[in-house]
Amino acid sequence: MIRINCPHCGEREHAEFTYGEDASRLLPANDANLETWNEYVFERDNVAGEHLEYWHHALGCRSWLKVQRNTLTHDISWVGFPHDTPPAQGEVKS
Amino acid sequence: MSGFRHGAGRVGEKELQFSFDGRMLAAREGDTIASALMANGIEVVGRSFKYHRARGITSCGPEETGALVTIGSGACSEPNARATMHQVTSGMEVSSQNCWPSPKLDLLSINNVVGSILPGSPFSAGFYYKTFMWPAKLWYSFYEPSIRRAAGMGKVPTEADPDVYDRVNSFTDVAIIGGGSAGLAAALSAANSGLRVLLMDEHDEFGGQLLNEPRNLKDGQLEQWRLDTIAALHAADNVTLLCKTVCWGRFDGNTLAAHEVVDGKVRHNYHKIQAKKIIIATGAIERPLVFANNDKPGVMLASGARKMLNHYGVAAGNKLVVFTNNDSAYQVAFDYHDQGVQVSALVDSRQKPPAALLKGCMERGIPVHVQCVVTKAKGWHGVRKVAIADLAANGQGVGQTRIIECDALLHSGGWTPQVQMAAHGGTPPVYDNQIAAFVVDKQAEDTWSVAAAEGEFGLHEGIDQAVMAAKAACQELDSDANDIVKPSHDLIGDLHIEPLWRVPSKGKQLVDIQHDVTAADVVQSHLEGFVSVEHMKRYTTLGMANDQGRTSNVNALAIMAQCQGQSIAETGTTRFRSPIAPVSMGGIGGREIGAHFKPLRRTPMQEWHERQGAVFVETGLFRRAQYYPLAGEGINEAYVRETAHVRSKVAMCDVSTLGKIEIVGPDAAELLDRVYINMFSSLPVNKARYGLMLREDGHIFDDGTTSRLAEDRYFMTTTTAKAGPALAHLERCLEIDWPELRVRVSSISERWAAMAIAGPDARATLQKAFADIDFSNESFPFMGVVHGQHHGATLRILRLSFSGEMAYEVYTEADHGEAVWQHIMDSGEEFDIIPYGLEALGALRIEKGHVTGAELDGRVTVGDVNMAGMASKKKWFIGKNLMQREGLQDDARPKLVGLKAVNPSEAIQTGSILVTETQAKAGVDKQGWVSSMTYSPELNNYIALGFLANGPSRHGERIYAAYPLKGIHVEVEVVSNHFVDPTNDRVKG
Ligand SMILES: [Zn+2]
Repeated sequence: MIRINCPHCGEREHAEFTYGEDASRLLPANDANLETWNEYVFERDNVAGEHLEYWHHALGCRSWLKVQRNTLTHDISWVGFPHDTPPAQGEVKS
Repeated sequence: MSGFRHGAGRVGEKELQFSFDGRMLAAREGDTIASALMANGIEVVGRSFKYHRARGITSCGPEETGALVTIGSGACSEPNARATMHQVTSGMEVSSQNCWPSPKLDLLSINNVVGSILPGSPFSAGFYYKTFMWPAKLWYSFYEPSIRRAAGMGKVPTEADPDVYDRVNSFTDVAIIGGGSAGLAAALSAANSGLRVLLMDEHDEFGGQLLNEPRNLKDGQLEQWRLDTIAALHAADNVTLLCKTVCWGRFDGNTLAAHEVVDGKVRHNYHKIQAKKIIIATGAIERPLVFANNDKPGVMLASGARKMLNHYGVAAGNKLVVFTNNDSAYQVAFDYHDQGVQVSALVDSRQKPPAALLKGCMERGIPVHVQCVVTKAKGWHGVRKVAIADLAANGQGVGQTRIIECDALLHSGGWTPQVQMAAHGGTPPVYDNQIAAFVVDKQAEDTWSVAAAEGEFGLHEGIDQAVMAAKAACQELDSDANDIVKPSHDLIGDLHIEPLWRVPSKGKQLVDIQHDVTAADVVQSHLEGFVSVEHMKRYTTLGMANDQGRTSNVNALAIMAQCQGQSIAETGTTRFRSPIAPVSMGGIGGREIGAHFKPLRRTPMQEWHERQGAVFVETGLFRRAQYYPLAGEGINEAYVRETAHVRSKVAMCDVSTLGKIEIVGPDAAELLDRVYINMFSSLPVNKARYGLMLREDGHIFDDGTTSRLAEDRYFMTTTTAKAGPALAHLERCLEIDWPELRVRVSSISERWAAMAIAGPDARATLQKAFADIDFSNESFPFMGVVHGQHHGATLRILRLSFSGEMAYEVYTEADHGEAVWQHIMDSGEEFDIIPYGLEALGALRIEKGHVTGAELDGRVTVGDVNMAGMASKKKWFIGKNLMQREGLQDDARPKLVGLKAVNPSEAIQTGSILVTETQAKAGVDKQGWVSSMTYSPELNNYIALGFLANGPSRHGERIYAAYPLKGIHVEVEVVSNHFVDPTNDRVKG
């Protein structure tokens, strides 16, 4: 069981959460061209290692959270709010 | 008869009665089924999986491969129970498995004989893959049932399980897996820190290998240490002790899964344990040696025979032969001899056993046969003699065989550390030549493997490792574990093993005794080109029985490595998977069975529908009223009647399942303009509007009606199915994409009851029900919203129509739902009001041409449902960019149409494909599909909605709705999807 330390609720098991999406993408401007939108919606890197992603605490406080998870080990090194930035590599400590 | 009750051991003197295959037998309190059967001299306890070979008791623990029995009968029976792991209780019914008519005379053992005669014998490796290939049609009718009858183990009861199981979620600082000497020591050391400590062990008593030792060894010092330690742990209130609890898996985030046998009010507990630190003290188990007939009853692991004697007071036989390739079995021979049982021979495959051991044998007069092997166990049901022979110096051959009489053969092929939990934690085991087994050479984070589980078999060394691990674990949690007092007596752990993976002689040499996999099968898989151990495992089915290869894995890998001419390290091991021991499904299900499997969502009017005799249908977690049958009516009569009643009079439907979201804040209008394709900022207060939401990829996400309650307050409804996703979507938009918007959204789905009143008399009914509201067209027009009160209930009434009739939706607080519903029913009595269910609701909306989830299946665009005109050109909205994609704009895409059966009484199947060919045939040109269908009482005709390429320009064309799987081919006319009231006169009337 992955456990996620929600800044509101404390550490909870992942069954309370819903995976959202890749959090490294940037929302394009409304008038951005089709290419940009296409890339934003459909193109994903299949990262082997540290990955920023959104999780929804659906069965808790219902906050959307930004989570840094290692896709190889499932270790979660950082949890914040959607507009927080994780500390630089090396400084991370859960 | 071979085994017998010899002394007291640790079990009590009190006698119990139990039955085995209907025969009453005596046991002592504390006996396992295995020890009790052995005490009664029962050798054959069942038949093997494939060959129906006789099976006896092979061990004294979880590694048991032979004595699988069924406990109990009927609904509570438990098949494939390891007789070594279940204590006898008074009156327990135990039966043998896989044999008919009895374990001693089993008619299906013909498999064994046939298996030996025919080349490419049935049930040898790859048998299933090779033999039953052709003709395929015989597989289901003949091969599979025959094999099922012949192979397999106990029978799963067909009745529902009446027992209660529980799930336990627990949290601990230090979890210790395995309660032998090391586990006990680690627990005692960690207990002093004050941290929460959890110690679990799969046996019914803590002590591990200490229980193999004579109770009075060295004046009982060891036994006293064991008892004192357990007592101290019981006294510590920060320590949880779980015996009869096997930890069967380790998962992400230090989550452990464990299965506890309770056999009280609750049968089993499934423990889900969150541990900060994990100490693995799971010990090691003995491996069998691989020689001919090593599965014969009476052939037993030496350590198991030792525990039988010293713990249960049961001797494995009167006249023993011990066969080993390492030091550990000597102590077994000594214990038996010292307690008065004759040891006829000690057969050691090594060239130079340690002098001290040879001296011990000489002093006792036990004949030792050095550099010698047992080539075959002989006897009809049980072993009565063994053939032994000298082993060639190169280990490749044997000399002349000699016969030794005996009634039990105890063997030891070395010891396998139980590394499963470490392996689950992500640490792959590596081969250690010193002990000829796999061990973990590095520790995963938060984890310490100690003592025998890590390849250290000495008592004091193991305890030292355990205490060091406890200290390290506690230190990482900012606490201090203590040193503990070790037992003054030590047990030496040196094995001096010289591997003997397979005795070089002929005969059926079992590697996986439980799954009837032989050494020859492993060799055959090599000869057929299987290189990976994972493939060998699957081809031979080795290690796939309920012991998960505990005893067989290493031997098989070694035989495979020998075939490949490489080292065992190079061959490697298969992946360790959970569960490592049998786990009951009941435990995993816990209380979440039957009605508790998933929660039932009830609408506020649920009981009314129940009293009314409604027939219900599951929709998500709801059970919605599908129809309200009159006497003698089936579903078809009922929904047609209800549908017609809506069109001619008035009827009411419970629509409380709709998702309801309140949207509040100065930027509420802005949010809605961004998520809906049409404009909501321009919506006047107390007006409602139908809206469509897209996903970012330009496809339709959901639809619903949203009304404006105030400048900064909207009331959104979503479809029942999308209630959750729509809320999450809005939350995502607000928190991730547009945190600048000052808006709050909250689900109020549970707070509001909702009922739709539809029909020509809907207005009159509501006017009568709520006299102080003016329902006239002037003051309450179509798409209007009006607020009111009724006996303390808040009313929020929206005039909208899903059915195509004049209709209103009345919302009120959930607590008042049934009262308001009943009040409307009473008020409508003079207009002949009836309730209508989900089936009529569907028929009405199809007649009107409204879309629901059947149409909005995630793949359609606004253009596909002919609503492209709704998309605002004045603003941006989610999905606006990607809905412009060429493929989504293609005019040839299938678009929403109505379909009318040319023969009015011919039903159009949902899921049919739309074709122009008069006959269904392969490769047909599929031009669309049917999404929903109904019988239309309004048209007296079967009708449907569907998607058809260029559909809107093909009205009037006759095509076919084909269902080739059922041979259905219905001629239909393409029409507008608005079958009823296309000009909206009725809804606006
Ligand atoms: Zn939370």
